[in-house]
Amino acid sequence: MVNPVLLIVVPLGLAFALPLFGLISKKIIKFIPVVAFIFNLVISSLLIPRVLDHPIIVSIGGFPPPFYINLVAGPVGILFSTLIALAGLLVSIYALGYIKEGPEEKYHILYLLLLTGATGVVLTGDIFNLFVFFEIVCISSYSLVAYMGDKAGIESAVKYLIQGSVGSSFLLIGIGLLYGLFGTLNMADIAQNITSISPLSVFVPLVLIITGLGVEAAIFPLNSWLPDAHSSAPSSISAILSGIAIEVGLYAVVRVIFTIFGGSSNIFMFLLFLGILTLLIGEMSAFSQSNIKRMLAYSSIGQIGLIVFAFGIATSHAVTGGLFQLVSHTLAKALLFLAAGYMIHRTGSMDISTFEGIGKRMPFTSLAFTVGAFSIVGLPPFVGFFSKFLIIKSALAKQDVLFIVLVGLVLLGTVIEGAYFFRVVQVLYFKGEKVNPVRKEAPIIALIPMFILVALVIGIGLYHRFITIILNSAALELLNRVEYIRSVLG
Amino acid sequence: MNLLSNVVNFLNNYLYYIGAFGLVFIGLCIILIKRNLIKVIIGLSILDTGVNLFLISVGYISKGTAPIFSKPGLDSALMVDPVPQALVLTAIVIGVAVLALALSLAIRLYHHYGTLNLRKIKEQRW
Repeated sequence: MVNPVLLIVVPLGLAFALPLFGLISKKIIKFIPVVAFIFNLVISSLLIPRVLDHPIIVSIGGFPPPFYINLVAGPVGILFSTLIALAGLLVSIYALGYIKEGPEEKYHILYLLLLTGATGVVLTGDIFNLFVFFEIVCISSYSLVAYMGDKAGIESAVKYLIQGSVGSSFLLIGIGLLYGLFGTLNMADIAQNITSISPLSVFVPLVLIITGLGVEAAIFPLNSWLPDAHSSAPSSISAILSGIAIEVGLYAVVRVIFTIFGGSSNIFMFLLFLGILTLLIGEMSAFSQSNIKRMLAYSSIGQIGLIVFAFGIATSHAVTGGLFQLVSHTLAKALLFLAAGYMIHRTGSMDISTFEGIGKRMPFTSLAFTVGAFSIVGLPPFVGFFSKFLIIKSALAKQDVLFIVLVGLVLLGTVIEGAYFFRVVQVLYFKGEKVNPVRKEAPIIALIPMFILVALVIGIGLYHRFITIILNSAALELLNRVEYIRSVLG
Repeated sequence: MNLLSNVVNFLNNYLYYIGAFGLVFIGLCIILIKRNLIKVIIGLSILDTGVNLFLISVGYISKGTAPIFSKPGLDSALMVDPVPQALVLTAIVIGVAVLALALSLAIRLYHHYGTLNLRKIKEQRW
């Protein structure tokens, strides 16, 4: 019997014990995140078959429901915690060679805390606990953005911090209002009583909470911090911020709308338009970038828009598609940032035009980048194709003129996406002088995680049946809130 | 006369909320209007204080006592709700952490740019 609380306790404990390990030897501290996430990955995968059967509820402190603080390890929680552990493991292997300057010890502590917070957000069943874990994610990402201590990093971190903490204050006001209305902080308990109060008084906390969480989830009008923060952080951190941090924010938004407030059709309509707007603005801004990391950051905004759109359709196929898109975005975007990290390292510039001929100088890294780019654009057989296909199919299944127009806009976004990603791939392989330059590949320790990601992107793309099982039951958990309430409160 | 008593009644019931949200709005205005980073951080601090006061006033009962059955005969209806106080304790700690981080970033920003005026720091297209 494995307890899901270990997923949070072990990395948290290791994060604070890390300076002590540093006393023994400075060399071992960078291996501690690797150990922690191998542990998390194993525990999460062991839990998958059990949570598919029924969700595991862990009560902390031993109080009876609904007074306890609980962890709800359902299919959604374990899906996300597996994803976090996987991405965390691969990026921490990459960081073994990549992080060489600056206060390394603090990097590893903050990195562990960031991912512990993310795991906590996806597993908790208590809304204030969600806020606390969310703040752990936010504070560690503010400091990691400023890790290099250079001009751009500090400036983006300040910007991120101001917007993020205003968002957190809104979230806290929303939670306070909910507590005032219902006298409880347990998400299932609030969800059970939400219909007993007039919709108007529930609307105010809903708006405040979505605004607060929307800052971290990078939903359109609240995302001006994202391109700066993601482009000025070290590449390994950009991969985590793009692959995990905004996904976790989005998870919180979805959990609040679907489970706690039990979304009405008006809210879903709002999500649809917000998603389309975020998608188009993200893709169009990405198209006009010449800085590779800014381009990838804007492309993340576009992808988030697509996921929000999928959740706005709110049929079971669409929610499955949205979760699938989340998984495929995490894998592909982490891959892109990791590959771009060493390209930037070798050329010494983030400008796309300086990457001419990199395809010959760094063939493996370029191959990894290309696979990631094709997956994000949605070419078969990569994983991005199937998730996008599922979303578009479920939108068309609605058989509504509005949805056909919106699908047209999504496809327009994909065309723009294809245009700027193919431009980069063209620069990598087909521009520059014809003579064969000296090969200088990324170190092997960085190529291993990249190729594991490439294998996952292609492998899950080809055999997506086994992941659809867990995605389907995760979608069911989100859509069937009565079942969630029943399993938590008994 | 009736109107006056209504107003007094209203203030009696909602004074804490008005005060708390007043602080939230003052904090927001400072964050949006001021150009100096230190002043913006002060705005964040005021915003935090407003949120904390609001949380406390959710659970407050006028002339209430602490929820501990120390003496026999205490009325549980007159006890203050302890949960918001626990929440505020956590929120204050988080607020302090954010504030400390913001101030240390402000020092580094000043080292790089020689100014704290946010309108002049525009390298990342603020």
